[in-house]
Amino acid sequence: MSKIAEVKAKVEAGKTKLVPGLVQEALDQGNAAEDILQAMVDSMGVVGDKFSTGEIFVPEMLIAAKAMSKGVEVLKPLMASDGASSLGTCVIGTVAGDLHDIGKNLVSMMIESAGFNMVDLGVDVPANGFVDAIKANENVTLVACSGLLTTTMPALKEAVETIKASGLTGFKVIVGGAPVTPEYAAEIGADGYAPDAGSAAVKSKELVTA
Amino acid sequence: MLTIRQNLMETIKGGNPDRFVNQYEFMELIMEAPMDLPLAPGPGTVVKNKWGITFSWPEGQIGSFPVHDDEHKVLKDVTNWKESVKAPSVFYTEEEWAPAIEHANSVDRNDKFVTAFCAPGIFEMTHHLMGIEDALMSLYEEPESMQELIDYVVEYELAYAKEVIDHIHPDALFHHDDWGSQISTFVSPAMFEEFLLPAYKKVYGFWKENGVELIVHHSDSYAATLVPFMIEMGVDIWQGAMTTNNVPELIKKYGGKISFMGDIDSGKVDHPNWSPEEIEKYVEIACKECGKLYFIPNLSQGLNIASFPGVYEETSAAIDRISKKMF
Repeated sequence: MSKIAEVKAKVEAGKTKLVPGLVQEALDQGNAAEDILQAMVDSMGVVGDKFSTGEIFVPEMLIAAKAMSKGVEVLKPLMASDGASSLGTCVIGTVAGDLHDIGKNLVSMMIESAGFNMVDLGVDVPANGFVDAIKANENVTLVACSGLLTTTMPALKEAVETIKASGLTGFKVIVGGAPVTPEYAAEIGADGYAPDAGSAAVKSKELVTA
Repeated sequence: MLTIRQNLMETIKGGNPDRFVNQYEFMELIMEAPMDLPLAPGPGTVVKNKWGITFSWPEGQIGSFPVHDDEHKVLKDVTNWKESVKAPSVFYTEEEWAPAIEHANSVDRNDKFVTAFCAPGIFEMTHHLMGIEDALMSLYEEPESMQELIDYVVEYELAYAKEVIDHIHPDALFHHDDWGSQISTFVSPAMFEEFLLPAYKKVYGFWKENGVELIVHHSDSYAATLVPFMIEMGVDIWQGAMTTNNVPELIKKYGGKISFMGDIDSGKVDHPNWSPEEIEKYVEIACKECGKLYFIPNLSQGLNIASFPGVYEETSAAIDRISKKMF
């Protein structure tokens, strides 16, 4: 097995303690940092797919994301940008009135693994908080809004409408959360919807590269 | 007409109930028992419980949350749990127990089950202490420490159980521990079997060895894949079974070994714009699809309340109406 293949396998298996050393070994063998990074991104794609199909669960996804993050730390000094951010910046947050952060954090990790630079606004984010963050950050290509409660679905709608009405451009809006359906996402004007963290990474990449 | 208790037993034993068990009616919850609830008492309040865990209920929200920023997280490194985690005493004065004893003594046990209440559960306690992401990753990264911490929580639960049993002699236990999201379990069945099944076999076994006839476990989530473990650990009724579990299928597969309480998702009916018609619709679907045995129609909420005034009562009324039609 090549060193890059080994990195890929160990990220997928969530070997947080082994991955940094393997990434260094892959570099020492002359592999380009970008190629090693791509292998890890691919690995997280596999992890996301397995999560979406129920083959793996939250701990396995968390630990794989942590393993990748440790690998990226080794690569960062060698890369022109700060690691896995080739797809631009993603502003993410849970909408106003909603304090749920686990799902949002999982989505954030997976989107980051797919190649975005993340700006996490946290929970209970007012609609104009998203707009302010788009203005304050460079190269925002994606805005991800999460809503976990039926009672905060109106806040999700308000967030999307406010973002769309801001006149700012250059990004797509993706929404998700337990009560959100593809129909509701379309109705409130979102560009995309994903039912889980693994699909969110795939959909995000698709939205910004389309 | 059967008493509430008889009707419950007919339902879960596959006998001849004469109506649907109506939500929580069979459990007389002794909430006066001294306990360390994982809750802030109301909107706008913040409390620290006896484990040192901070809970906040922000204004405008429908519940309270444990706070896990750096300042408030009790357990920052699970390998040092012995230094950071100190279980509170399970001993309360007789004066503190008096209202619970009075309540328990007032219950007609032929009609209802005197029910002890326990929350948080074992898994919940681990993530209340350190945050759910750390707790889940620690199951992989530091399994020995997590096992020790779980054992420590089990010892606390057993010690508290002994006090409850000695003071109110409960017939039933209502025990919370959320094991999943709406569409999946938090951990794989294999990981559940390794860490949580043995813990719950000890805890639920102890309650049953000491006179508790009925174990009701709350997890308002998907947990269909954990049902075999629930049966093995001694759960009689899984409360909070959401529609995402395909409850009618579970009843076909496991009815007789365990019963299911729920199938009316609170998220669908318990909202600011709730209506009797909407509640009626979901109650009817649940009752018709799940049938008369091994099933208790109920909101998925983990207590005999709703988030919005009137929803619980309207659900009960709708269940009474469908009982008259179906029985």
